[in-house]
Amino acid sequence: MALLEVENLDVTYATKQRPPLFAVRNVNFELNAGEFVGLVGESGSGKSTLGNAILKLLLPPGRITAGSVRFEGKELTTLPDEELRQMRWRDFSTVFQSSMNSLNPVTRIEAQFQDVMAEKSDLSNSQIHDRIGELLQMVKIDPSFMRYYPHELSGGMKQRVALALALALKPKLVILDEPTTGLDVLVQKEIMHNLRTLQREQGFAVLLISHDLGTVLEVSDRVLVMYAGEMVEDAPTHGMLKHPIHPYTHGLLGSYADPAAEEVEISYIPGRPPDLTRVPKACPYAPRCPEAIPLCRQAKPQLLPMWDGKAACHVAQMQWNDEQHNHTRHSEEGPKLLDAAFSEATSHKAMKLEGEEVLRVENVSKTYQRRAGFKTTSMNAVNDVSFNLRSGKVTGLVGQSGSGKTTIARMITGTEYPTSGAIWFGETRVDKLKGRGIHNYRKHVQYVFQDPFSALNPVHTIQYLLMRPLMNYGKLNAAQARQKVRELLETVGLTPAEQFETKMAHQLSGGQRQRVVVARALAPDPDIIIADEPISMLDVSIRAEILQLLDKLVRERKIAMLYITHDLLSARLLSDEILVLNQGHVVEQGAAKTVIRQPTNEYTQLLLEAIPRLERPDHVRASYVPTAEPTKVQVDASPVSEE
Amino acid sequence: MRYFIRRFLFFLLTLWTAVTLNFIIPRLEPGDPAEDIVRRLAGQNKPIDPAQLHAIRLMLGIPGGNIFQQYIDYLNLLFHGQFGVSYTYFPYPVTTLIGQSIMWTVGLVLTTNIIGFIAGNLLGAFAAWKRNSIFDSFVSVGLSFVGTLPYMWIALVLLFIFAFQLQLLPMGGGFSETSTRQMSWGYTLDIMQHALLPALSILITGPIGWIMGMRNNMVQTLREDYTRLAIAKGLKPWKVALLYSARNAILPNVTGFAMSLGGIMGGVVLVESIFNYPGMGRLFFEAVGNRDYPLMQTILLFTIVGMLLANLLADFVVGLLDPRVRKGKN
Ligand code: SF4
Repeated sequence: MALLEVENLDVTYATKQRPPLFAVRNVNFELNAGEFVGLVGESGSGKSTLGNAILKLLLPPGRITAGSVRFEGKELTTLPDEELRQMRWRDFSTVFQSSMNSLNPVTRIEAQFQDVMAEKSDLSNSQIHDRIGELLQMVKIDPSFMRYYPHELSGGMKQRVALALALALKPKLVILDEPTTGLDVLVQKEIMHNLRTLQREQGFAVLLISHDLGTVLEVSDRVLVMYAGEMVEDAPTHGMLKHPIHPYTHGLLGSYADPAAEEVEISYIPGRPPDLTRVPKACPYAPRCPEAIPLCRQAKPQLLPMWDGKAACHVAQMQWNDEQHNHTRHSEEGPKLLDAAFSEATSHKAMKLEGEEVLRVENVSKTYQRRAGFKTTSMNAVNDVSFNLRSGKVTGLVGQSGSGKTTIARMITGTEYPTSGAIWFGETRVDKLKGRGIHNYRKHVQYVFQDPFSALNPVHTIQYLLMRPLMNYGKLNAAQARQKVRELLETVGLTPAEQFETKMAHQLSGGQRQRVVVARALAPDPDIIIADEPISMLDVSIRAEILQLLDKLVRERKIAMLYITHDLLSARLLSDEILVLNQGHVVEQGAAKTVIRQPTNEYTQLLLEAIPRLERPDHVRASYVPTAEPTKVQVDASPVSEE
Repeated sequence: MRYFIRRFLFFLLTLWTAVTLNFIIPRLEPGDPAEDIVRRLAGQNKPIDPAQLHAIRLMLGIPGGNIFQQYIDYLNLLFHGQFGVSYTYFPYPVTTLIGQSIMWTVGLVLTTNIIGFIAGNLLGAFAAWKRNSIFDSFVSVGLSFVGTLPYMWIALVLLFIFAFQLQLLPMGGGFSETSTRQMSWGYTLDIMQHALLPALSILITGPIGWIMGMRNNMVQTLREDYTRLAIAKGLKPWKVALLYSARNAILPNVTGFAMSLGGIMGGVVLVESIFNYPGMGRLFFEAVGNRDYPLMQTILLFTIVGMLLANLLADFVVGLLDPRVRKGKN
């Protein structure tokens, strides 16, 4: 008997006002004692809902509407509350998404261990105290921190405290829901490593829920892939790495690559997941699937065993059956799949334009004075940084949070002044601009923010949002502006424009919103665009699409771009030049390929090592057909979505 | 610790501002109290005798001299607890009058407000914990209806039913005219009987805000990850509800309570006028009606100091309850 058995599970969010949302449908899987299993899916795929359903922590109006969840053979869905309460934390525990909020803000760390341990173990108070110390040490936190309040710890520490808390009563199963999202790459890596070691030592089972297939593949024994509320693949890690069975998994894998490879390419999945208020009667992935055949739109594929795992796909199933009959291909190979790709080779970087200098940053430093009482401490946010931005070129600024990359961006836009050094925009000293001068200068420098969800005012239509900068900076009248809005929308691939201009931001998907943000940045026809982590909040499967769009715009419109990111892979793909920042210092600077392929600095090497290294099988790469003449490549930014 | 010291210094600063404003504002008002008194004594349309006016001024101790001298004198007197003589209840000093009424008000209004606050939060927490139950819908719908009724109406209905129709309780006043006014069981019972209706009227309307506030805050905190984690831990339900959810949800209400004390004087005047209750509110009402400046000013000052003290106390309580406030802003 498996430790955890989930059978035909359905979860529905039903309210009176809105149509019911069928978030999880007919999910089946098992989890054995001591197994480390990953559960992967995009936002809205139902993966967190599934995790909460197993823990019976669904927030209303979410409800399990069918199926069963058994823990050691005990049916949790019908278990009386009191019995379930007794099982909690002793049998299964959980860690929530980047514990910003999962520790009680008003009590000390110790108290949050204390209450559950006092209630659920026979330890005396002093034994509990010692055990808390041990637990904290286990996650590499000094026991003295138990006297602290949550807000006094860093995000990474809080997350490790949450992990220690989950292990307090030696549970048999720990469910982790996006445990490291939002933390720095190096911290993420460390926590995952810590988790894996503890799991091996103590032998508890793990269900790791994440949107990041790369991380999951690195640590898990087996991976479950969810799409649009359904389980589409369930396969051991090594098998999935070699030959993903389901086209969706294949597509997701395409978003990963080794940035230090000779040639780098990543792919994306055009389109967006279906609306889950209407249950798809066919394969939910069919509208985005490059493999789709007519059958896919008629019948729902079942999750069936094939190769070394299970998958729900008609085409894969036919190939598998074929193979069983004819032995045409070696069963190790998996199905043959197609790909949509964005690579350095197809990017317009290859055009070798000699860009002229647009902005020059000269030995810029920024020191912040912090006053605490009568003591002033100064902090060097940025230290002696020099680089320039060239038209039609991308400069990548790579670093963790706190590295000073955002401060540099703010100085370039003129929202902050450097303590020393100069910033030249042509003949203008940006760091000396004031009032009117700044306003005029900003017309030339536009910003693309990280979070497309908060960057757009929710109460206005897209048309209004785009018309404002046009009329503000471009001095166009309303009719001209309206015309220009259409052009802009078409430029960023939101076609037909008429369909999008009347919408509100919340009616668009994340990728579409980010396109609108890009369009808004383009509106005043700027010379410089500063893109601050423009893809980090987007689903993995569509990141390449936005990168491709940025690439196209920069090269075609001869815009100089500062691309700020923590992610070396996208930096390698998009940038011509890369600067690696560590605590305000530039530790590496040079041509993108050189910096990443031959890093000289230890810090850069650390960052590179933190990237999940997935060996992509040859046939995946083979499905990508490189174009001989890079300049003629049709960079197709249009396959956005079907509504 | 720094937080508490800072709060205290801030309190002193506001106190000084309040005291100064209390000095300035009455002097900006038109009309002369001495003239008023003479007029009242002499009859409406008679000409005023300047000598009489002067005599009254001297008698009342209406300050003369330039404004700075007045201010110094004012502070000096304040410092020595001398607030002057009431115009209306001449020659009683203002402090005596206030001393007689303050206990009535504190006893009635403050106690009921505190009871209302505690009960309101408990009920609100319960409604949130049992959200979408019958109790919750009663609270959400029923109370917001009651909340729209004017306080005066509720008070009068209570008076009408219990005092007039059923004659169970007295119509008004703080005690019976016939009582001995000596400490005894009978007298205590008498006071209680008189306080019951006004207290009830306050307890009907007072907690509504706290109930609704607590319910809404707690519905939020129940969805927060820390509450969900507490449920996931399998703690006893009451611990989850009180120590995690309610504990966080009450923070805005504590601040809100301190703020609400700002508006309390208006309520006190209303309650005490309706129930003819011998407290500060009624005294203030009379003082305003009679242009009794010393009395008015002193009551205002007492109210303000009381409010500031309450605010200081609330700041301290919030500081104790929420570690983020203590350290966060530094
Ligand atoms: S069933 Fe068809 S549409 Fe669905 S994933 Fe397989 S091939 Fe694609």
